[in-house]
Amino acid sequence: MLDASAISGASPQPGIHQLIAADGTSVADEELAPLVADVDDDQLLQLYSDMVTIRRIDVEATALQRQGQLALWPPMLGQEASQAGSLHALTMDDFIFPTYRENGVAYLRGADLAGIMSTWRGSANTGWDPHKFNMATPQIIIGAQTLHATGYAMGLVLDGKEALSIAYLGDGASSQGDVHESMVFAASFQAPVIFFCQNNHWAISEPVGLQAHAPIAGRAPGYGIPSMRVDGNDVLAVLAATRWAANRARSGGGPSFIEAVTYRMGAHTTADDPTRYRGVTELEEWGARDPIARVRAFLQGRGRLDEAAEAGVAARADTMAAELRNGCINMPDPAPMTVFDNVYTTEHAILDRQRDHYERYLAAFATTEGTTLEGSRS
Amino acid sequence: MSRLTLTQAINAGLRKAMEDDPKVVLMGEDIGTLGGVFRVTDGLMKDFGSHRVIDTPLAESAIIGTAVGLAYRGFRPVCEIQFDGFIYPGFDQIVSQVAKLHMRTHGQVRMPLTIRVPFGGGIGSPEHHSESPEAYFVHTSGLRVISVSNPQDAYTMLRQAIACDDPVLFFEPKRRYHTKGEVDLDADLSRAPAMGASRVVSAGTDVTLVTYGPLVSTALDAAKAAADDGISLEVIDLRSLSPLDYGPIEDSVRRTGRLVITHEASETLGLGAEIAAGITERCFNYLEAAPVRVTGFDIPYPPSKLEKHHLPDLDRMLDGVDRVLGRPNSLSGLEG
Amino acid sequence: MIQEFKLPDLGEGLTESEIVSWHVAVGDTVQLNQVIGEVETAKAVVELPSPYAGIVTAITHEPGTTVEVGEVIIAFEVPAEGGPAAEAVDPAQKRVPTLVGYGADPESSKRPARRARAFAATSTTTMPQPAAEAAPAVVAAPVEARVQADRPRSTPPVRKLARDMGIDLAELVGTGERGLITRDDVLSFAGDPSQGAGVAATAPSASAVGTPAGAGNAAREVRTPIKGVRKFTAAAVAKSAFTAPHVTEFLTVDVTAGMEFLAKLRAKREFSDVKLTPLTLAARAVCLGIARQPSLNSRWDEGANEIVTMNYVNLGIAAATPRGLVVPNIKDAQLLGMHGLAAAVGELATVARSGKTQPADLAGGTFSITNIGVFGIDAGTPILNSGEAGILALGAVRNTPWEHQGGIALRQVMTLSLSFDHRLVDGEQGSRFLADVGAVMSDPAMALALS
Repeated sequence: MLDASAISGASPQPGIHQLIAADGTSVADEELAPLVADVDDDQLLQLYSDMVTIRRIDVEATALQRQGQLALWPPMLGQEASQAGSLHALTMDDFIFPTYRENGVAYLRGADLAGIMSTWRGSANTGWDPHKFNMATPQIIIGAQTLHATGYAMGLVLDGKEALSIAYLGDGASSQGDVHESMVFAASFQAPVIFFCQNNHWAISEPVGLQAHAPIAGRAPGYGIPSMRVDGNDVLAVLAATRWAANRARSGGGPSFIEAVTYRMGAHTTADDPTRYRGVTELEEWGARDPIARVRAFLQGRGRLDEAAEAGVAARADTMAAELRNGCINMPDPAPMTVFDNVYTTEHAILDRQRDHYERYLAAFATTEGTTLEGSRS
Repeated sequence: MSRLTLTQAINAGLRKAMEDDPKVVLMGEDIGTLGGVFRVTDGLMKDFGSHRVIDTPLAESAIIGTAVGLAYRGFRPVCEIQFDGFIYPGFDQIVSQVAKLHMRTHGQVRMPLTIRVPFGGGIGSPEHHSESPEAYFVHTSGLRVISVSNPQDAYTMLRQAIACDDPVLFFEPKRRYHTKGEVDLDADLSRAPAMGASRVVSAGTDVTLVTYGPLVSTALDAAKAAADDGISLEVIDLRSLSPLDYGPIEDSVRRTGRLVITHEASETLGLGAEIAAGITERCFNYLEAAPVRVTGFDIPYPPSKLEKHHLPDLDRMLDGVDRVLGRPNSLSGLEG
Repeated sequence: MIQEFKLPDLGEGLTESEIVSWHVAVGDTVQLNQVIGEVETAKAVVELPSPYAGIVTAITHEPGTTVEVGEVIIAFEVPAEGGPAAEAVDPAQKRVPTLVGYGADPESSKRPARRARAFAATSTTTMPQPAAEAAPAVVAAPVEARVQADRPRSTPPVRKLARDMGIDLAELVGTGERGLITRDDVLSFAGDPSQGAGVAATAPSASAVGTPAGAGNAAREVRTPIKGVRKFTAAAVAKSAFTAPHVTEFLTVDVTAGMEFLAKLRAKREFSDVKLTPLTLAARAVCLGIARQPSLNSRWDEGANEIVTMNYVNLGIAAATPRGLVVPNIKDAQLLGMHGLAAAVGELATVARSGKTQPADLAGGTFSITNIGVFGIDAGTPILNSGEAGILALGAVRNTPWEHQGGIALRQVMTLSLSFDHRLVDGEQGSRFLADVGAVMSDPAMALALS
């Protein structure tokens, strides 16, 4: 029937890999454990700190939107483990193709905070140089980036490199044609690409059950691409799974698909109202599986996170948040004539004429009011 | 008469169309439970059921393509493309199938689809949410294209579009979604202005200012400001982009001799280019000056902090009016 | 310093919210982003994070009240530094954020107005007002039947010509297809405004001089409208003077022999029906001179980037008419002999005096002659007839002591003044031409040597 019943997937189903349970206790996983055997408590503390920081950034950005400093912000609340865990499996030679929600990945990759904000403030379409960080700019067209990642990986093969590309995508994206075509190409060319699908259960108001009548991870083998389902709120498991896929890619094993099962704790973007389409129970259930709380519990259980350490982590996070706020609210508006920049690499006489005309137009006004035009603006 | 916002008027139009014809089904992302990201379809799923207000998976090509199949089956689908910039995955189905099927089948298969698209800028958004792609569709034979500017037209013309057996691209100016206007909900469709008719929305004697969609209200403001300068603008709302209704424009230009066309879409190959050529053909011997176009630049839509430079506003329109009148303007002395 | 927090826009196009609860009270210290309260829109309950760090000094709306966006709801005492949140809230912001951005600009209740521009856009405008006055009030509703008539039909180039000549097309009747106003229509109207079917009565401009008022109330100046032939002439002359670089050369010649020659011709029976004057001889001399110096009979075609040299001479003869100066031309004057030229000049003058010069007569001239001698004037610096390369002014014939056969004698002497367009004619060419003309005027037999 066309009646799309909401499969909310509230509880992790069998077959989902995990290393740290929601309550912070260890879980044995034969496949994943060896991949993170080297991760000691110090490194786990670093992962914890990273997650705390990117959550703090997320909260600050949300507040900035409420205060009119950003046009919008897509919260990543609840997905910190998926972002931090996957990022830490990559090297700087690997190329990242994010969606628009991977602002945690961007920050951990080294992108400047003000740069990250510039896209959401409306000052620029990109906040960093893709070639400097080997990371593409946020992609708003759902699924388009998966084709780019596959093509990049094909390029790596042509160049004989050992690096890989990673395409982040969501559960909604898994319905788009581009994603399926990218998996066909990836398999046919054995491209070293990781399809990292964060199933956060919601595409605006559409539940994952509308996009897929079976676990999303099950699609990839149909294309000839091995896949793994992992608890997206378990940073250690995510790290391990991504390493699994990265090892395959680097050693000529071709593409892999990871479904990180997580939850979009916040709204789709800052003006969305999730109470219109999902219930409180779901939120509570997933709140109990918080990615940061479980690592806190784990580290506290091993005596590695006392009050002082906790305070230190929080202080570092607050510092980043303040830097973000400063960078955002003090960001200058772009100059008017830059609207013509970078459309082409070559000359374009028609555009030049328009630029010339607009320059004359602006010059015709009695006052140069910079970039804000007062008076009526319909 | 009711005072409704543009979204409410569209909602009312959809409701009436669905009441009138059980074969009308709505399809789109987030239109059912959520009621649409702009609340345009608010309440409709509750009243008509999820089999007639269909929440679709995230796939524009499939939304259009499955609608084609539904049309074969005798349904009258109304597809929503959530934002203008998202129409491109569906472009192939629209251009290769929806537009061509009637002619391909010698008129035996009809495609009475309506594809609703919120379009245009001025809402402070990131990329892909402020496009003006209407020219691609006006250029595609087999499609009708409409751009409403006010709640009454939205209500009436949406119903006409849905009832029309040709496929219709129905562009809604999203930056005017909250504009209110009087709507006669009981208006008799058979006595409403034709769906293909353009309309003088403000009479004037000195310059003909032609536009559509989001810039109609800007043009009306420009007319008010121009009046303070002693200039009388005649503002024409195209309403229908394909086909274009030249009648009122010709009548006007025969009296004013001066034409300005304005739209958000880029200058090259926009509706302004078409109308400038069309009016030059039809009214050459009445023209006092070359037609002037006031449009977006030939650039991808800029970051929102810069959009006010790209989008024609009141001042840019009046600069174009000055130019066509031979008054001092930003390009004085430049052109032939 | 006190910072006020105004209710921000919270999405979905709503302009007001209800205060649900406050989490702080007056006197509390709040941190930046600390949740200070909750408001409810029709869609959801939304938390408000504090934009300031400071102390609450006032809460202006109690829970349960509905507040408009932009109203102050709470105020804080913040440190003078202001902290990074000093301009966190833009008090002027009234845009309503949507799912995907800042939202559209709100509708302004202010009257729409233009931004002030640097160049003066004064109210002295070139507004064309063929019909009704510009209506200041704008009708927002759809339009009923219009009163304004269609504009006169013409083509853009002809409109420009009319504009340059200061002619209002509404005063003309077009003779083209379906009443199209043609170039000839405009030129004809310029020659005789009464030919237009215009409503306004236009008095001939040459005599349109206001009479001074009577004594006691005498007007100290008289105003005459600029129109008709005066306007046309002024425009043409101004254009010519400021487009073509004029050079004038003077040659004073002893035309005694030329006058004797004319007298001899007058005595002949075949010349009894025409009037022979020095102008006639000059006309012939000019045609012969042009044959040797064709640059004097050319045209500067800017658009085609070419100089056009005509192989015919349409010789313009300046003529005074009741309405002013016109320059009708004799077509293919180079084909005419003395009799033909005399007849043509005579005919032309008769027609001009009666004000019946046709547009075709005025068009297409290639060289002009103006006879200022009839006014007793010796020489001048004539202005080229628009588009032509040369113009010859004939001075009066005077008895003047002159060199003659080695001595001084009273001879009939005339000065020829030749102006030419230096773009088309160089000094040498102009000089040689003038010399040739002078040669024929002073010794008509030289015509045999020149041909």
